[in-house]
Amino acid sequence: MSGLERVRSEFVASWHSFLRRRTAVFFTFFFPAIIVVIFGALVQTQPTGGGLFAEPKEYYIAGYLAVVVLFTPLSRVGSTIARHREGNRFEKLATTPLTRSEWLLAHSLVNVVIIGLAALLLLGLSILVTGASIPLSAATLALVPFIALGVTLFCGLGAIIGSVAGSQDGVIAASNAIALPLLFLSETFVTPDLLPAWFQPALNLSPLTFFARGVRALTYSGEAWALNLAVLALLAVAFFVAGTVAIPQTD
Amino acid sequence: MNEVLVADGLRKSYGDVEALSGVSLSVAEGEVFGLIGPNGAGKTTLIRTLTGTTTPDGGSASVLDGHPTDVDRQRLGLLPQDFRPAGRLTARELVAYYAGLYDDARDPDDVLDDVGLADASETWYENLSGGQQRRACIALTLVNDPDVLFLDEPTTGIDPAGRRALWSLIDDLADRGTTVFLTSHSMEEVERLADRVGLLNEGRLVTVGRPAQLVSEHGGESRLVVRTDGDVDLESLALPASLSGEVTDDGIVVYGVGPRQISAAVDAFDDAGVVYESLVWKQPGLEEVYLSLTGEQFEGARPAAAAAIGGDR
Repeated sequence: MSGLERVRSEFVASWHSFLRRRTAVFFTFFFPAIIVVIFGALVQTQPTGGGLFAEPKEYYIAGYLAVVVLFTPLSRVGSTIARHREGNRFEKLATTPLTRSEWLLAHSLVNVVIIGLAALLLLGLSILVTGASIPLSAATLALVPFIALGVTLFCGLGAIIGSVAGSQDGVIAASNAIALPLLFLSETFVTPDLLPAWFQPALNLSPLTFFARGVRALTYSGEAWALNLAVLALLAVAFFVAGTVAIPQTD
Repeated sequence: MNEVLVADGLRKSYGDVEALSGVSLSVAEGEVFGLIGPNGAGKTTLIRTLTGTTTPDGGSASVLDGHPTDVDRQRLGLLPQDFRPAGRLTARELVAYYAGLYDDARDPDDVLDDVGLADASETWYENLSGGQQRRACIALTLVNDPDVLFLDEPTTGIDPAGRRALWSLIDDLADRGTTVFLTSHSMEEVERLADRVGLLNEGRLVTVGRPAQLVSEHGGESRLVVRTDGDVDLESLALPASLSGEVTDDGIVVYGVGPRQISAAVDAFDDAGVVYESLVWKQPGLEEVYLSLTGEQFEGARPAAAAAIGGDR
């Protein structure tokens, strides 16, 4: 049997497990909806009025997408690993032909599908609720690899968190502690010029920055995006490999 | 007979705790080997070392003539201690999931039938009873039809009927030639299933042998455990010369009581006017071996400072 068959088997089991946790399904899709409603409809953007949301509404679409690409894989993969550890499932899997990279690939693919659907919902709501207009062209399809690579990257980081944290509570705390600073210091909602000049180079240290820049280029500014995609791909590979190594065999 | 599991001087420490201190043993093809020992004795660490999920600090191990990490996963089956698979997959989905991880797997429905779960195959794992859950876990270890099966406390938390059903299943596997390495806290289970038994205590393999051999060497004598209503003066008991007695917290234990001497011992109690609540005749078993070699105490064990009367011991 090929590795693909093993990945398929792990994917199907994980997908069914996700769909049957109704609370998880609800909040996975409620999350992007509430983000758009709060920031897009309630706070609203004020392009000429200054303040935090001073850019055109299309500017923030990359931020909305960054929220789901960042938070959902971190918490989902981290929690999944914590559950696996609590149930000694990795010890069992270590005696099967399934490799750790195949396991993480299967769970990354599940997250790509889930977050892809959540991203579609989010884009649709952005257009309907805020009236944002997204330029459509062949390049718009590049949103797919941006989301897939972003999700894979943060699945790798989630695997590291899940392996280091001792419990699901620990995973949630660690995920929040890492994700919140990343979200606001990655050119998502806070523009670089609102930050001190000395800090601005540090934005390049956040992997989410390259996601936000690339997605913004596709959905708002029309600037070049390929370099951001390339950097994101490199980082996704690095985090995937690190996540694979971090997954434990026994607990 | 071909040895499929070999441990040679295995050592493993976790910080200051020495989990394995030079453990050596071998298990032959088709043998059921039972490993007993107190909590923390190193049983799970030994299984992890043999399955390649933990690296020993010293010594070596081989499984099916290869290093544990290099052995063909198709030929191994493992039920880890406290294993809990995904709760919201049906029993059939769980078996199919694990079947999908192997090159050559059995039909999930056949496996579920083998463990007696055919009627519950569409029930979520979390909704199965405790015994059914454990049988589902066993099914996951059988889906690849392994040559060597590791079962780490497989019947923990199962009711007596479920436990006996699993014993029957393990018997069938052994009859078909599967090598089984089993750990358990149930002496009855190990005595019932194992061809040979090893006792691990504080990381050391204290003894290995066939259950009857271990009982003969370390189990001590058969005895009569008498629970009395109040204190008893041993001097007042006219026990036959071949018997000896000891006072315990709950009554008296009379040692060396064979089947033909039970009535004589009971007569001695009656003649002395001892009021007793219960009389239990016990033959030595693995439990006595375990307690004798680990130094743990139990009801009816010989207290260190107990008074003794009767024949020479």
